[in-house]
Amino acid sequence: MYKWLDERLDLQRLNSKLFRKAFPVHHTFFLGEITLFAFVVLVLTGVFLTLNYEPSIREVTTPDGQKLPAAYASILYIDSLPFGAVIRSLHHWSAHIMIAAAFLHMIRIHLSGAYKKPRELNWLVGIGLLVLAIVTAFTGYALPFDNYAITATKIGYEIGAAAPWVGGLLVNILFAGEFSNTNTQMIPRLFSIHVLWLPLTLIALIGLHLLIMVKQKHTQPKYAERVSPGKILGVPALPSQGIMAGILFLVYVAVTTLIAGIFLAHPVQAYGPPTANTPAVKPDWYFLWIYGILQMIPSNWKFELLGATFGPQFWGGIFVPTLIILGAAAIPFIDAQPHKQRYLELPSQHPGRTSFVIGMLMFYIMATLAGYKIDLNLPNALLWVLVLFVPILTGVVAYVILRAFYGKAPQEPQVGGLQGSAADD
Amino acid sequence: MEHTEHSIDPVQEQQEHIQRRTVLQAAIGVGVGLSVLSTLYVGVGFIPKVVVTPEKEPVKAGDILVWAQGAKAGQEITPADLQAALKSDPPFIIAYPKNPENNVVKNQLATNTIMVMQLEPSSLSPETAKYAAQGIVAYSAICKHLGCTISQWKNNVWHCPCHGGEYDPRQGAKVVAGPVPGPVPQLPIKLEGNRIVATAGFLFKPGADV
Ligand code: FES
Repeated sequence: MYKWLDERLDLQRLNSKLFRKAFPVHHTFFLGEITLFAFVVLVLTGVFLTLNYEPSIREVTTPDGQKLPAAYASILYIDSLPFGAVIRSLHHWSAHIMIAAAFLHMIRIHLSGAYKKPRELNWLVGIGLLVLAIVTAFTGYALPFDNYAITATKIGYEIGAAAPWVGGLLVNILFAGEFSNTNTQMIPRLFSIHVLWLPLTLIALIGLHLLIMVKQKHTQPKYAERVSPGKILGVPALPSQGIMAGILFLVYVAVTTLIAGIFLAHPVQAYGPPTANTPAVKPDWYFLWIYGILQMIPSNWKFELLGATFGPQFWGGIFVPTLIILGAAAIPFIDAQPHKQRYLELPSQHPGRTSFVIGMLMFYIMATLAGYKIDLNLPNALLWVLVLFVPILTGVVAYVILRAFYGKAPQEPQVGGLQGSAADD
Repeated sequence: MEHTEHSIDPVQEQQEHIQRRTVLQAAIGVGVGLSVLSTLYVGVGFIPKVVVTPEKEPVKAGDILVWAQGAKAGQEITPADLQAALKSDPPFIIAYPKNPENNVVKNQLATNTIMVMQLEPSSLSPETAKYAAQGIVAYSAICKHLGCTISQWKNNVWHCPCHGGEYDPRQGAKVVAGPVPGPVPQLPIKLEGNRIVATAGFLFKPGADV
């Protein structure tokens, strides 16, 4: 059997070329894999959901005589199926985990300098993937068609519409016209984008991301430089790396299923079908910082230019996020170097970069805190101080501390020691 | 010299080549151009056609305000309802306009969502009072910020739960807090017996200001 396949597919060559590729081991290298696992689970659970979900707002009568929009009723139906609610929750939590893991993966790359030449391109693909994953999650918001989902999506719709010049066209295409509880084309449109177009794009980009990674080889961890300088260190992709990944995947599925079983995500009955009453909505954690900034922007920040309005919605919802995305994309080009990066760098030896990352995380935390402005009764001036100055302060303090602790240590203790002893001889 | 007579003049040959090339290039250009154009024309289908049904017409003079939701959904709002609402939370009623000619409730246009409230007539600013009737005011209920339905009452003003925008309905929905870029438009109304009737459309454009 193996021989038969080998003669036709040249498995031996494939094995030695691809599957024996050395893959270095470090616990932080699994963050990208977890992102991928979350995506696989999302696709699998998503397939199950599409089979029972009805993307329509036509009025249906449930067995107990309630008149409900079909999309909402089909969510209730899914929840009533064996393990239906668990699978729906698994889909929901995996979306959170995918975005969180991708974000942590990105921080790991940033902290260890893995974005440097020749990997700038894959850094850009990665940013594209993170943004796309968030957009995909957003297009899934409205599908349960409950009051909460509709309110949250409406806010996103208007933020999209606030994009200068192209906003109107963009939301018209995404939402099939005006956002309204009675727009019959909106849910089918969002459904198609959420289950077909964005996942296909994600699959293509994930493929590209992995292909570039295999082609360029995974960056070598710092310890490899000490253990065997100039050599590629790692375990073969198959079977060793494959077995590790396989075990990790099973652990991932087990843990998330447990979570999904205990915590039912987004109980639609708690909100009911859409009405004119707005529930107090809070976006998911990965939007909370934008939500916070939206509330801080003063209402008079507004001007018109060439027929486009630049209002507070634009500054909070479009300008700040775009600036951050562009800033992230620029990192490998600002921190450029002529030679190729072979080994990862230790965060402790790059205090400037490390404290910048810490400062950015503080910015994210402070902007998220601003999302609780109304609940905590925080004055706007205080929030501005928190969002602008606390991250800078944190960065400076982190820099000073890192310098104090690691600044005087020699760059390469072991190698230096060896050289020193050799010179003594 | 027989040879030269039969052969084609090299200059002429080159010119023919150039002509052929131009024709081919033009053909390719036109072909590609037409393909791109027709593809873009397919893209027009991404934007759905807007069909204005009677339920989607914007509010206009003569429309009667009816309950948007709840047990009385679709019934006309009376001053007694508004008095009763004052004791509930929120102390106002969300309404849709009803066309008296065909009795259609125009509830399929988001910007037709209207807030109606009974206020102390003496507390209204003169400008607001002009469009009110015995202290009853009506405004677009769609927040100017990002389009939520402003459905709460806090700090004695109208409160949008989405980002904390606050409007004072006594003073032309002046913005008193939050990131809201401007007031929502008032709907001029009058009382006709027990009915609340619009005397015009919104004073200016309703809906999120984006
Ligand atoms: S939508 Fe009303 S305050 Fe933002």
